[in-house]
Amino acid sequence: MANRTRALLTLACLACAATGWLAAQDLPDGNPYTGDAEAIRTGMGLYRLNCADCHGVDATGVRGPDITGVWAAGRTDAGLFQTVRNGVAGTEMIPPRRARDDEIWKILAYLRTLATPTAAAASTGDAANGAEIFGQNCSGCHRVNAAGGRLGPDLSRIGSARSRATLISHVREGSRPRSNSGYAPVALTTDEGRAVRGVTKNEDMFSIQVMEVEGRIQGYAKDGLEALEKPDGSLMPVFGPDRLSDADLEDLLAYLETLRGFDPAVP
Amino acid sequence: MRWMTAATCLFLAIGTPADARAAQGGPGRVTQAEIEEGLTPDGSRWLTFGGDYGNQRHSPLTQITPDNVARLAPQWTFQTNTLDDFETTTLYRDNILYVTGPSNTAWAIDARSGREIWSYARELPTDLRACCGLVNKGFAMLGDKLYMATLDAHLVALDMPTGEVVWDATLAEYQSGYASTIAPLAVDGKIVVGVAGGEFGIRGFIDAYDAETGERAWRFYTIPGPGEPGNDTWSGDSWMTGGASVWVTGAYDPEQNVVFYGIGNPGPDYYGDSRLGDNLYSASIVALDAANGELVWHYQFTPHDVHDWDATQVPILADIEIGGRTRQVVMFANRNGFYYTLDRVTGEVLLASPFVFTNWATEIGADGRPVLLPGHEPNEEGSLTCPDLAGGTNFWPPSYDPAQGVYFVNARESCMIYYAWDQEYIEGERFTGGAGERIRDDPTMPLYGALRALDPATGERLWEFRYMNPSTSGLLTTASGLVFTGDIEGNFLALDSRSGDLLWRYQMGSPLHGTSAITYMLDGRQHVLVPAGTNLTAWALPE
Repeated sequence: MANRTRALLTLACLACAATGWLAAQDLPDGNPYTGDAEAIRTGMGLYRLNCADCHGVDATGVRGPDITGVWAAGRTDAGLFQTVRNGVAGTEMIPPRRARDDEIWKILAYLRTLATPTAAAASTGDAANGAEIFGQNCSGCHRVNAAGGRLGPDLSRIGSARSRATLISHVREGSRPRSNSGYAPVALTTDEGRAVRGVTKNEDMFSIQVMEVEGRIQGYAKDGLEALEKPDGSLMPVFGPDRLSDADLEDLLAYLETLRGFDPAVP
Repeated sequence: MRWMTAATCLFLAIGTPADARAAQGGPGRVTQAEIEEGLTPDGSRWLTFGGDYGNQRHSPLTQITPDNVARLAPQWTFQTNTLDDFETTTLYRDNILYVTGPSNTAWAIDARSGREIWSYARELPTDLRACCGLVNKGFAMLGDKLYMATLDAHLVALDMPTGEVVWDATLAEYQSGYASTIAPLAVDGKIVVGVAGGEFGIRGFIDAYDAETGERAWRFYTIPGPGEPGNDTWSGDSWMTGGASVWVTGAYDPEQNVVFYGIGNPGPDYYGDSRLGDNLYSASIVALDAANGELVWHYQFTPHDVHDWDATQVPILADIEIGGRTRQVVMFANRNGFYYTLDRVTGEVLLASPFVFTNWATEIGADGRPVLLPGHEPNEEGSLTCPDLAGGTNFWPPSYDPAQGVYFVNARESCMIYYAWDQEYIEGERFTGGAGERIRDDPTMPLYGALRALDPATGERLWEFRYMNPSTSGLLTTASGLVFTGDIEGNFLALDSRSGDLLWRYQMGSPLHGTSAITYMLDGRQHVLVPAGTNLTAWALPE
């Protein structure tokens, strides 16, 4: 009986594997719901319920990446389906436990209505020079592939996570990190008179946890502080044309566009 | 010789009336009279969800005071070892704690040591679709049994000394979107319970079951059927999938023999065009005859709700002075942002005033209906409305101090862009017809919480204690002048209930999400017990 059970289990496992393989093979090349108004409406609901918190109602990215340009960047319906179905390893995007295949297709059909029709013109700059500019001006605060500072967000995926227009806006005009993003600026003075600048990592009524500009993480009891201020905007300086020429900005963008979180070999 | 002595004693004891009673299930059975008595000055018990049938959550105990509360010390911590969190009120009797946990779990715990006596776990179906966490709000107790609603929409009776299942009644089929998370209410030999699933197109109801046998005594559908008064407040067949769930414990007035329950939102939550009309009895309070479940009166807080403003807040009963007259009232801070004092005999609105910032209605008119402001119907483009979908307050229990005549509530100040679209109903599937996007980091829009002390006769705010963010903690007040609460960042807090001054705090590591502290006496010492996250921690003054 034991042998028979084992044999049946083996068969069952093989059947499961075959089904999975077949399912993968059966994946349509295109989205069966593209342009289907009813499906797009359902997809809108599913997107807003399940995706918008991270990617934004307009899909231009909040904590998660801007996903309006994924088709223009060369991703396919089938590839995007697999990204949603399997999640993205090492990120907050986990596989949706209960999503049916048709629900994922409907979300993608809706997302397609928000997508930019064509890829933004690739930067004409010199990425190698852009990498040097990044090293001189940005890497003190931003990490790329495990090298660089920690005060600002990791930019290893920035080329696929944010549009060119958003990057230009952040460099030229500055940004406003969300108060709960982990990058909102803070300035405090301890009772001993020590001034601290950094970003807020966490906070409650009685304490605040800070990454100081030197990169040290430290917590402070609020009743032990002489002053606590939360300046508007970001610790990141604004790089106007006086600090960064248009040509250098173009080179920097060319470099940032090479920083992509996903393997371009994936369809 | 020693064993013979013990055996002899046992033999002799078996014949005594006291032990005959014990053989029926522990030292004494919980009686209706005891529950009606509520929280007693000896601190010996907490027998029902709200401490007493009026849900006042106000303890007469005075050992812990504003002067000494800062000396509270932890006595023990119990860990559930579950993935989800507590959302419960613990019951206490004869030095034992009875607590329900997430994912259909429960325990009996030695209040002296925090050690488990028995545990209960009911298997969760893998295809369960509960909207808002695998939670449970607590036991009811009567006789020698505990009663627990389960996530798969059953009501189980457990033997109090062993935790073994005595009977198991099916409320509804969970596959159709029904669930149950409510703490049942034991009333005069019956166990009253409701169903969740307002986001899954259910048709809500309140049931009563015979406490001894589990046989259903009555059912009140929260959406009237064809031919019944109120069915015409739902266009077409929308009444069949209209939600109106019941997931927060009601109150009971023994004098009238009436129970009072808040009813959930109509479904689909945000898209109202498919269910034109007032949608009775969604977003209402209903007063039901406890003997047969017949409707005595109802009041609808939010006719034709399109913002997911369930009226599933905990009603509090009290007798208060209004305009020189003592009125029997039910007090209700509603998710829609208005605080209400109603006459609990007639349902008449005695007072209705906003207790948080609202922009959807100017006031509650003389006819009891909100006077609406235009532009707050959700649509595909989005419409901005305050409060947000979680509401001015929600399911976390408020409290009432009858000596001060003050109502305490954890209020939320938050706004949201509401979206809506037409959605096809599929049995067992989520059926909300919309979604919301909370407004953050906009200096013109509020986003914070506050514990507010209100005069229920006038609606006047007596004081407030502000939190950085909206709190989801329930409350406990004591006759010594304390209010226990928590913030969303995990701090357990004690405030002076007369001034709102902060007196003591402890970082629990998890918020008191929907849980309330309880208090009781154990071996001469007042204890405060608080569920937070997966922990249950007892506090007392040092010996």
